[in-house]
Amino acid sequence: MTQEREPTVIARTVVRLVVPLILMTALALLFQGHNLPGGGFIAGVLTVTAFALVYIIFGLDYLETELLDRDPSTRYETEAGIVREYGTVFSLGLAVAVGSGIAAVALGYPFLTQAVVFVEPLPIYGYLEVASALAFDLGVYAVVVGALLTILAEVGAE
Amino acid sequence: MQPERIALLSVVALPFLGAALAPLVYRVVGERTAYFAAAVAAACLCLVAFVADAVGTGGTTFVVSWIPSYGVSLAFYVDGLSLLIGGLASGVGVLVFTYSGGYMHGEPGQAKYYATLLAFMGSMLGVALAADLIALFVFWELTSVSSFLLIGHYQDAEASQYAARKSMLITVAGGLFMLVGFLLLHVVATGAPGVDSAFRLAGEGSILANAGPMVDALRAQGLFVPVLLLVGVGAATKSAQIPFHIWLPNAMEAPTPVSAFLHSATMVKAGVYLVGRFRPLLVGDEWTLVFGLLGLATMTVTAVLAVGASDIKELLAYSTASHLGLIVAGYGMSNYIGAETGAFHILNHALFKAALFLVAGIVAHEAGTRAIDDLGGLAEDLPITAGVTVVASLGMAGVPPFNGFYSKEFLFHAVYYTAEHAVADGGSLLWWALPAVAVFGSVFTFLYSIRFLMLFFGDKPDALGEVHSPPVAMWLPAAVLGALALVVGLGGVTGTFGVHLTPVEDFVGAVMASSLGHGGGEHSFSYYLPTEVTPWLIMSAVTIGVGAVTYPFFDRVRDGVRAVRAVDYLRPNWYYDGITEGLDRSSAIDVLQTGNLRTYAAALALALAALTLGGYAAGGVTVPAIAYAGLEPALVVVLGVAIVAALAVTAAPSHIAGVLTLSILGFMVAIFYILGSAPDLALTQLVIETLVLVIFLLVLDKLPAFYGTVDRLRAARDAVVAGAVGLTVAVTVLLSTAGTPNDVIAQYFVANGPVPAEHDPIFANAGGGGNIVNVILVDFRAFDTLGEISVVAMAALSVVTLIAMRERGEIQ
Repeated sequence: MTQEREPTVIARTVVRLVVPLILMTALALLFQGHNLPGGGFIAGVLTVTAFALVYIIFGLDYLETELLDRDPSTRYETEAGIVREYGTVFSLGLAVAVGSGIAAVALGYPFLTQAVVFVEPLPIYGYLEVASALAFDLGVYAVVVGALLTILAEVGAE
Repeated sequence: MQPERIALLSVVALPFLGAALAPLVYRVVGERTAYFAAAVAAACLCLVAFVADAVGTGGTTFVVSWIPSYGVSLAFYVDGLSLLIGGLASGVGVLVFTYSGGYMHGEPGQAKYYATLLAFMGSMLGVALAADLIALFVFWELTSVSSFLLIGHYQDAEASQYAARKSMLITVAGGLFMLVGFLLLHVVATGAPGVDSAFRLAGEGSILANAGPMVDALRAQGLFVPVLLLVGVGAATKSAQIPFHIWLPNAMEAPTPVSAFLHSATMVKAGVYLVGRFRPLLVGDEWTLVFGLLGLATMTVTAVLAVGASDIKELLAYSTASHLGLIVAGYGMSNYIGAETGAFHILNHALFKAALFLVAGIVAHEAGTRAIDDLGGLAEDLPITAGVTVVASLGMAGVPPFNGFYSKEFLFHAVYYTAEHAVADGGSLLWWALPAVAVFGSVFTFLYSIRFLMLFFGDKPDALGEVHSPPVAMWLPAAVLGALALVVGLGGVTGTFGVHLTPVEDFVGAVMASSLGHGGGEHSFSYYLPTEVTPWLIMSAVTIGVGAVTYPFFDRVRDGVRAVRAVDYLRPNWYYDGITEGLDRSSAIDVLQTGNLRTYAAALALALAALTLGGYAAGGVTVPAIAYAGLEPALVVVLGVAIVAALAVTAAPSHIAGVLTLSILGFMVAIFYILGSAPDLALTQLVIETLVLVIFLLVLDKLPAFYGTVDRLRAARDAVVAGAVGLTVAVTVLLSTAGTPNDVIAQYFVANGPVPAEHDPIFANAGGGGNIVNVILVDFRAFDTLGEISVVAMAALSVVTLIAMRERGEIQ
């Protein structure tokens, strides 16, 4: 929100604690999605929520000045900048999703056929189920994260 | 697949592919994109020639399935007429693209220009070859759209915008009339004997192949005249027949190569093509009345207007409309000579008129002006161009032995023949007006043709500065067209002595056969200088004689024409402008186009509700009863809170309160999902609800903190909209959940979603996931998900474009 009013210490501290937890939860939702509630879409939106908290409490430039240690440039107009990078994220995501479909075509299956591989035996886990759908889900995740953050940063910068 | 089939499909597909690649090519080679486009056109021309050689002009159909459930296909039909139009589109295309390489030097927006022009060429080839009514309509409208973009090429110029809008309004409106005509035809064809596929226009089992039964069916249902008129409106708007000719002179705002390509050789020929194509089906007394009179009237009126023109491109534009009138009049005559006229003049007109447009472009480019009065004596500086002009404008005037003479002679013959037979059959003497009007119009054609020619002779005005020589890329295409026109003309001279220009004659004969249909009998086509005195020869002689006598008084004739043209009530433009400006000023604009998002949203929502509810009413569905019994108390509480929250939103005094109460509703829905054992939905709902709240908070800063006082009337109106939408959604949910189609899909998902009991280490035949919702999203319905994430990415791009780039203007 407005930059003139400093958020309270409580809000800043809570956000510091909560954001990593949200991001961890989002990743967990992404990877468990195939067998338990979750998936790329939910995980993506949750990740964006974490970013949104940072944006609201610490301001739009915080990510770049404090974490990436560079000059802030949230607008798309500048050639390099974080919005451009968000753009790269969703482009790559779309490419991964489409690519996972094309990989199936290359192997002689219809477009977007998914397969499952069981890797066993493994220590501790016993076996691991690797679904090719995970690649597709990663694409979904990246698109959602990239696109929503682009919108958020642009609208926020207004 | 046979090679012809591949070749034919490539003819239509290549230009569109080229259009898609044009911006990329432009990045690499810059202005030399012109030669890339010319190469695409040349490839199309070669393919057209290959197809013509492989399957001949007898009429061959190639079908690609498109929408089989409606019987719509991408069917293509190859015969004389389609090969002529297709050959013109690609052949003139080669020359025009080459010419553009010189003409467009240093002009803005070239990538767009070449892409659109290539797309136009593809659409035109599609129009020429399409044998399916729907496919024909789609390509037809594509030519209108690409023409709109090309006329408006100089998008900042007011005149271009006006011209582009005008041509779009007129040709697209005409196209819609044509669509109605096509649909009527389809309805009639559905029951007609012999017609296998009711959308198929030409080829086996098609509408044209069964013209006899089709005409009987049309007449029996009283739809013959409506179909004739509807198709006629489509053709007349596209081919600039009066009173729809007004868009063509304005279209000259386009760059000259576009005028030469679209507005002389190809797009305007689409209407004429339609007339020629439907002629076998609809020819008869009504046909002659509609198209004969329309064509002759257009030919005469626009020839007169061309004399009054003050700009060389304006002159050529009116002259184009006039010659299109000639072609339509030729097709309008129901005897076979009429078909000869139409077929031959399409070819002749394309040759001389495209050449003349290119000449006009050279003159404008090198002399720096297009005003007729400021030009003269150009032959000295532009000798080659002058040579082309002599051949082309004498052909346009109908002077022997140049090419236009022969087709005009055919028209005189056809008109005379029609009048003679009509009177002999006891018709009124008024029929003799037809040949008289034809001669009268042709006198004016002669006058303006000579006026154009005289730009190159006589004294050079002092005000005219230095005239440069055009680059090769500009004069060569004009010279090629002029040479072709000359060859066709000389073919008539040699034909007189028994040495016929067989390829041209055979080809025009095949074109003619396309418009004669099956009942037309066998006619071979040949043309030569007249060897005996006939009434039509006398008509030609009168035309040239009167024209030559009148020419010294050209200025006086022109002033007379301008005086008549100045009368508002006689100008279709006056009506057009009156209607469009009247609409602009009318209060409908204030009510409909408020510029407020809520107005458009309300219109959309209401329309959706009305259509959906209307559909239910028309389908006579009954809303199933709601079973309240068995609702859990927890559910009731949650839904109750949701309803209260919904009501509270409407009473919220400020945005903050409104948004917060709205999110109460959202969270209640999430809890509802949890109670309904849908954890994935609940999670999504919760997360989205949170994010929306956050985004709202970001935006709230920009909005006024409190709503103003609410106008009662507006509140009531909004309540009606909201109520209608709510009702629609509720009814739809009830109806769609009540339908239980054996649960086949759900059972399939349940059976194939999880890991099968026995399985290989690697398998692809089952989802292999415990979360069926996710398995559906990423496996069974992955294609849908792919579409959805594409939409999300597009939305982000749109936001970036709207917000970040709005002040940057167009990226060159």
